[in-house]
Amino acid sequence: MPEDEAHESLIHVAIGAEDLFVIGPLHFTNSMVGALLASIILLTAAWVFVRKPELVPSRVQSLIEFPIEWMANIVSGSSSRWRGYVALVVGLFLMILVANWLGLLPGVGTIGLKHEEELVPFVRPASADLNFTLGLAIVAFVVFVWWGLRLHGPVGYLKELVGEPRYMAPLMFPIHLISELSRLVSLSMRLFGNVFAGEVLLATMLALTTATLFTLPLAFFVPAVFLGLELLFGAVQALVFALLAMTYITMAIAEGQGGHGDEHGPDHDEAAHTEAGHPDSSVSTPASA
Amino acid sequence: MEGNISSLAAGLAMIGAIGPGIGLGIGFSKAMEALGRNPEASGAIFVPYILGLALTEAIGIYCLVVSLILIFAA
Repeated sequence: MPEDEAHESLIHVAIGAEDLFVIGPLHFTNSMVGALLASIILLTAAWVFVRKPELVPSRVQSLIEFPIEWMANIVSGSSSRWRGYVALVVGLFLMILVANWLGLLPGVGTIGLKHEEELVPFVRPASADLNFTLGLAIVAFVVFVWWGLRLHGPVGYLKELVGEPRYMAPLMFPIHLISELSRLVSLSMRLFGNVFAGEVLLATMLALTTATLFTLPLAFFVPAVFLGLELLFGAVQALVFALLAMTYITMAIAEGQGGHGDEHGPDHDEAAHTEAGHPDSSVSTPASA
Repeated sequence: MEGNISSLAAGLAMIGAIGPGIGLGIGFSKAMEALGRNPEASGAIFVPYILGLALTEAIGIYCLVVSLILIFAA
């Protein structure tokens, strides 16, 4: 039984963020520290970059410019109104990327205070907290609903929710409403699930390799492999979140364009192209011209 | 030996990861086929491919969330 308890404490991973201190109604949690650190890193990088930008970028400048340029390139192919949301999509990507990779630094989940026999780490990767991912998803949700409302008007937006054959409305309206809301859930759950599962995976690998003296040498190599894997997953999940936000916004815009002339074939064709996030705009221009 | 039934349930919930596993395999193989036929289209394939994988993978993540809830919250 004591062995079982020791094993239990090795894989200890909390599903929620833990309070560091409480000021009135505000519970200051360790994932808030992670989010603040990620913000500070991004702001510092932006400050260093904006202070004296050069036409021929230095190493640091091109390191900061590369992901922004790359994402902006993808976003600019999504629709003709890309300037309206490119900042949001690139911002989501960078924030999630930094928050994910911050969680892989040594000491992030391991340095902390002992509180009632359980370690409360000072820093927790922000994206391993459902509050953070849900917050980002709500931002993306508000933005794509706002784009739909702006281009469609409230009546047109409701018409889109009701669907095409008007008599099917009692069945289709709740389905459309739920599918709209499920985007919020799936966006936040996907990021949270992936990052949290990564944390659990790393903790489990460390616990497995340090369980016996015989496997102790493996503890230097096996978690390292999974750390490398988590680096990749962190980048992919940041990309997925940003691309899905972009696609939802593009869909809201395309629906808005389709609402004015649904009978036009070419117009619909272009909407279908932008919906798929086609980076090559030369394919869709002959159809729309 | 407390919490055994919910541990078992958490393990059983992950059986649902079979479906997305097959789906991801099909998606990846089709993307590779398309890339083999037309290597210049890699830029056009990339974004829809990542989105498709993300949407397929979401089902697996739901299983994971259910089993995490069973382990930590229930």
